[in-house]
Amino acid sequence: MAEEILAPQVRDQVTALGTAEIVVGIPSYNNARTIGHVVRAAHAGLLKYFPDRRALIVNSDGGSKDHTREAVEQAQLDTQGLLLVSHPLQPVHRLTTPYHGVPGKGSAFRTIFRVAEMVGARACVVVDADLRSIAPEWFDLLLRPVLEHDFDYVAPYYKRHKYDGTITNSIVYPLTRALYGRRVRQPIGGDFGLSGRLVQRLLARDVWTTDVARYGIDIWMTTTAIAENFRVCQAYLGAKIHDAKDPGADLSAMLVQVVGSVFDLMETYSNVWRNVFGSLPAPLFGFPFEVGLEPVSIDLPRMLGAFGQGCRDLRPVYDQVIPAPILKELTECASLPPEKFVLREETWATVVYEFALAYHRRTITREHLLKSLTPLYLGWVASFARQTEPESAAQVEDRIERLCLVYEQLKPPLLNRWDAGKR
Amino acid sequence: MNEFWEQTILEPLRELGRQAVTSLSSLMGMLVLILLGLAIGWVAKVVVYRVLRALQFDRLCDRLGVGTEVERLGLARSSSYLAGQIVQGIIVLTALLAGLTAMRSEWTQNLVERFFLYLPHFLAAVVILVAGALVSRFLGRSTLIAAVNAGMPSARLLAGLVRLFVMTLAVVAALDELGIGRTTIIVTFAITFGGLVTAAAIAFGLGARELARDLLQAHFRPTTRPEDKDTMQHL
Repeated sequence: MAEEILAPQVRDQVTALGTAEIVVGIPSYNNARTIGHVVRAAHAGLLKYFPDRRALIVNSDGGSKDHTREAVEQAQLDTQGLLLVSHPLQPVHRLTTPYHGVPGKGSAFRTIFRVAEMVGARACVVVDADLRSIAPEWFDLLLRPVLEHDFDYVAPYYKRHKYDGTITNSIVYPLTRALYGRRVRQPIGGDFGLSGRLVQRLLARDVWTTDVARYGIDIWMTTTAIAENFRVCQAYLGAKIHDAKDPGADLSAMLVQVVGSVFDLMETYSNVWRNVFGSLPAPLFGFPFEVGLEPVSIDLPRMLGAFGQGCRDLRPVYDQVIPAPILKELTECASLPPEKFVLREETWATVVYEFALAYHRRTITREHLLKSLTPLYLGWVASFARQTEPESAAQVEDRIERLCLVYEQLKPPLLNRWDAGKR
Repeated sequence: MNEFWEQTILEPLRELGRQAVTSLSSLMGMLVLILLGLAIGWVAKVVVYRVLRALQFDRLCDRLGVGTEVERLGLARSSSYLAGQIVQGIIVLTALLAGLTAMRSEWTQNLVERFFLYLPHFLAAVVILVAGALVSRFLGRSTLIAAVNAGMPSARLLAGLVRLFVMTLAVVAALDELGIGRTTIIVTFAITFGGLVTAAAIAFGLGARELARDLLQAHFRPTTRPEDKDTMQHL
């Protein structure tokens, strides 16, 4: 029998609620400032778009110290200010519970999914608790493809600043797309819609006490959905604006977590991606509209400095990972003046693939390997930012599309070397 | 007369003959044991080398960083070959000791006995050195990557110092285990290390007062870090 992760009193509460067709999950940790807004948006969205379906909002909290749970309970759920086309037939229930297990978003998701399973939900949506730009429409966009179009996984599609989401744009999206053949633009977006059957499949997996639950839950869910042939689509949600980022967040730790998760999944699904060539678009729900985006500033000299130092000082590490011609090219790039600094798409994609191979072969300690990617990543970001400075959002998107195609073209050589012993 | 001849000449000669035969047989025994050891050692080396290669032992050693060290220090052409050589060495050494035991002289018995008393210390010293080399390499690389990612200009120097420090500790511990110049080494190490730390502290305090102040200020009263100039979200 599977381990029961819900506390007895929570289980009793859920049992008392009976069934619900929709579950909205909000994982949180110290989000008192914003979670009230998210709960209100969820409530309004459910009343407005799904008035005749029983719904439940679940907040799974990681032990917040800032009264996040009280903020959820005190969120005013009045409907006076809402223009509702139809009168709500079903009340929206709320449940707030601490989660158990390893700290991280994964354990929060597990609790939400377990509740969804218990109430027999047909659709489940999870949204971040720090969102400022969330609107009631998001719930329609994330739930309707599941409830009415039989999709299993709805990934978000945001309008973002051209310098935002650079790990997504330069590694996670192109690599996931080239590997598994689905163009899911924001595979680690954070806000997703899931079908009941996908929730059950995810719950049955033995990853909830591993690093996946700590760091890589978003990419794991997206990859699992694509690689295991669930029906995947995207929902256009507009801009994603959330609470100020943690100033202590370390870029190299971020790379270790995100890129390490993608590389781990490459091992898990190597039998799937080795048979995939090219890619297919994932259907997009919602109307892509233009939105005003917050300005983003970047420190180009610092990035170029980090790249130059990496090429110089981390040479002994790179010698073991990157083929000599590519390393030579990187070193030559490092000596270019800032106004001429450019890294080719082929070079960057090759670097990422070489790191994936080194990770697979354990050429060096995996944490060292992933951390040593930081200067090269900053070099790529600097090159990308420099080249895209005068470009419009559409032109930047074209550039990302070109990068994705390069990843797809370079995949067969990666495949040939995946099982080989030596580079 | 006959008795005199018998006791004075023949008996010592017979004794000498008996001793010569005994010594010769011991010598022959020793030679046979050594030759046997050499032959078995050679065969064992080849077998170990081939088996380990088939088991991809070299790849494992490369992952652990041992392979590169073996190559860099010119110890052998590969880790599998080195393992084969070690097995061969152990077999040859065992045969040599068995051969010396076969001589049955007090000197060889004493030598063998002392060897076996010393062997655990020798093996412990080897283990300390190997572990020290691996740890110094790992910590050196950790320091290098962390320092580069933190944008420290002297990342390589720092990593080199970490490796040197760990390796020095390992060598001191190994020599101490072997009982070589125990007191002298520890005192020398303490004086040198203490001197280096003091010198570095003085140099840092006098020559880089501004840097010291900035570093302490950044640690205890952080203002804006270089990366905070970026407002981009990487994810």
